[in-house]
Amino acid sequence: MFYIHQTYCISPQRTFPQVDLEILNHPVNKKLLAIEPLYDGIPPGILRRMGKAIRMGVGAAMPILKNTNALNGIIIGTAKGGMEDCIKFLNQIVQYEEGLLAPGNFVQSTSNAIAAQLGLMCHNKKYNTTHVHRGLAFENAVIDTIMQLNEHPGNNYLLGGVDEISDFNYNIETLAGAYKEELISNEHLYDRDSPGSIAGEGAAMFLVNDQKENAIAKLKALQILHSEDDGLVKNNLKQFIAAHLPAGEEIDLLLSGENGDNRTLKFYMDCEGLMETNTAIVRFKHLSGDVPTAAAFGLWLACQVLQKNDLPLHMIKKPFTGPHCNNILLYNNYKGLQHSFMLIRKY
Amino acid sequence: MSRIFITGIGVISAIGNSIAENRMALAEGRCGIQNNLDLFPTKYSGVLPFGQISVSTASLLNNFKISEPGVTRTTLLALHAFAEAIQDGGLSPEKISAAETALVGASTVGGMCLTDELYADANKNSNGSPYTSSYDYASITMYLQKHYKMNGIINTINTACSSSANAIMYGAMLIKNGFAKRAIVGGVDSLAKYTINGFHALHILSSEKCTPFDENRKGLNLGEGAAFLVLEKEEDITGKKVYAELTGYCNANDAYHPSSLSEQGDGPYFSMQGALQSAKLSTHQIDFINAHGTGTENNDEVESRALIRLFEKPPPFASSKANIGHTLGAAGAIEAVYCVLSLAHQEVYANLNFKQPIAATGLVPVQSYKKIPLQHVMSNSFGFGGNCSSLIFSKA
Amino acid sequence: MDTATLKQQLKKQIVEFLNLTSVDPESIKDDEPLFGEGLGLDSIDSIELIVLLGREYGINIQDPKEGRKILVDINTMVAYIEQHRTK
Repeated sequence: MFYIHQTYCISPQRTFPQVDLEILNHPVNKKLLAIEPLYDGIPPGILRRMGKAIRMGVGAAMPILKNTNALNGIIIGTAKGGMEDCIKFLNQIVQYEEGLLAPGNFVQSTSNAIAAQLGLMCHNKKYNTTHVHRGLAFENAVIDTIMQLNEHPGNNYLLGGVDEISDFNYNIETLAGAYKEELISNEHLYDRDSPGSIAGEGAAMFLVNDQKENAIAKLKALQILHSEDDGLVKNNLKQFIAAHLPAGEEIDLLLSGENGDNRTLKFYMDCEGLMETNTAIVRFKHLSGDVPTAAAFGLWLACQVLQKNDLPLHMIKKPFTGPHCNNILLYNNYKGLQHSFMLIRKY
Repeated sequence: MSRIFITGIGVISAIGNSIAENRMALAEGRCGIQNNLDLFPTKYSGVLPFGQISVSTASLLNNFKISEPGVTRTTLLALHAFAEAIQDGGLSPEKISAAETALVGASTVGGMCLTDELYADANKNSNGSPYTSSYDYASITMYLQKHYKMNGIINTINTACSSSANAIMYGAMLIKNGFAKRAIVGGVDSLAKYTINGFHALHILSSEKCTPFDENRKGLNLGEGAAFLVLEKEEDITGKKVYAELTGYCNANDAYHPSSLSEQGDGPYFSMQGALQSAKLSTHQIDFINAHGTGTENNDEVESRALIRLFEKPPPFASSKANIGHTLGAAGAIEAVYCVLSLAHQEVYANLNFKQPIAATGLVPVQSYKKIPLQHVMSNSFGFGGNCSSLIFSKA
Repeated sequence: MDTATLKQQLKKQIVEFLNLTSVDPESIKDDEPLFGEGLGLDSIDSIELIVLLGREYGINIQDPKEGRKILVDINTMVAYIEQHRTK
């Protein structure tokens, strides 16, 4: 459905500008915080106004913007947008009792500020949109990109998924029971039989078009689903694989969004149960955190594998048995309700 | 690719709680903007004009018999408009729950209408209000998905004031590209202390009722509302009531400034031009434009310039924001519904409060209700972040 | 407070309030334009500077357009503060 030609990721791990996943970075105050680069390419006058979500999104996109002549659109998925700026403005409202308020935080808090800033920086007046559907915000951005390419063959799109974790949205998510109460290291995220996962943040950006030549990877198929019924999800996944996996081939690698939350483990175990004996299984949430747009990190990771970058032991739940990795299935869900399946191949 | 038709609509705004009430109020030139905001404690109550919907949150909860905690006013308004749209469109529960039925919503406020509760939860000053899972923009669409047991593609879009125009576009594309057979699309926003203070801090709220396209305009009035439309393919509309066809659309970006449009208005110009190209229409074929027309100095002049630049002699146009205020995430959808009503009844509604054209551009909007022949109508929505979208609806 | 000290203080406040992390307050010239060239601020900054004047000096400017006439450079801002400050 589309080909990925460039991809960059800013995350809590060493993923930008060079990739080295061997060393696992740990949470700080229970949060997997992104390692932000120096952002050399962003003029200081613009950088000073950006909240973290915008910085990460723009930072991860900069190498693509530098290497690309003509973008036909910018399509971003973000569940929360500029949450830190949102709460900063909210705090002003309370502190100054709706009096004299500085509007910068308000303007930067809007979800579409990431895509807007990207458009501003490369003077791009074309298609520009922001999907905010929580755990399927990125996947809807993917569907949008697929449709854009269907209707406008030959175009190039910047596609991305971004979410930040500020103290404030961490507080809200904590109150909602999203994270493990006990203090754990992310190395042991999957070992505890308890509810909750771990907070994270990051941005993954992709240059996408319909040209096979020189592509890093092909997104062959995508399906999204809202359901709490594990039987229904399992059936849908089975049908998805049957419909899209080329005849005679197997899933070589399952990139699993397993997140350490015992309330949603059943979905991931069902998915593993559908795999062949030879399918390797790799988990990534202990690197990225349980971000609503985690599938963006997963897609970036798939591209790393297809570019023959080895994955460290701490990610491997079931090892590779052979040298080939042609078919990658990325399965992720957010809070056991929003599910996505992606089939990614080299060609 | 499939042709897309509108077979059902639903709306709630400061001028009415239904399609019929909205249409009557528009025809009569009624204004729903008043200085009596009473949804939450704010120093702007009684000071600034707002387009508040006259139905209380308590009675919305009661109407839908909702007893579970965590349901915000934004969600309730959406529920109200959605319920009207699916009934109007004659959609059975089975069709709504089918995997081929998509839902695309939009909101810029989400559950942040509960600004005070959000403050308490974000600063952990409480043990957690019932709303901790209801603050984000997706919460409304997720509630509709659950309430109506929907199993198709579900999405939420936030591109500021053009959000629900983009939701309509996305829904149409899902059908054309085979991801859905039908789509229920729209948007909602309720009044919120957060947005009131944000817009006030930017000095773009007027202390009087707004005067779109007037030389002496002083800013916008915020409003609240919701609207949904049922989009279906040509193959599926036999025997159905059809309001209009969605014949063109375009999303373009002004790429100039985070919260204001450029002087030459490239974003508005390209979105209107692109919509015409996608509809394969020329400028003289547009019979009426529902303008974005917020009443701000920046928007109305830039939109006027872009209209002149594209059309040379622009067709009749009007803004409905003087009737209901600027409903932000709902604006694109509410105004799409108004365009569809215009086409179905071959009538246009007045741009209220207009006295004097903008000196630099001289454009004069429609100032009274009239019945005129309409074949093609355009609707504009221009937002923060330079996000500009234009939709074209045609007589079915 | 003498004018020179006020100028120094204002420069620090502007850098902090507008988060101009790459600017050394001492490097801002008194007659350097704040908008356009010079410091290169924009319309949102002009509103934020009005808020700064309100919060730090008790000066109430209602209309941002009027505000721009005062916010030309450090000299004009300081002159206005000295004349109108209530804090």
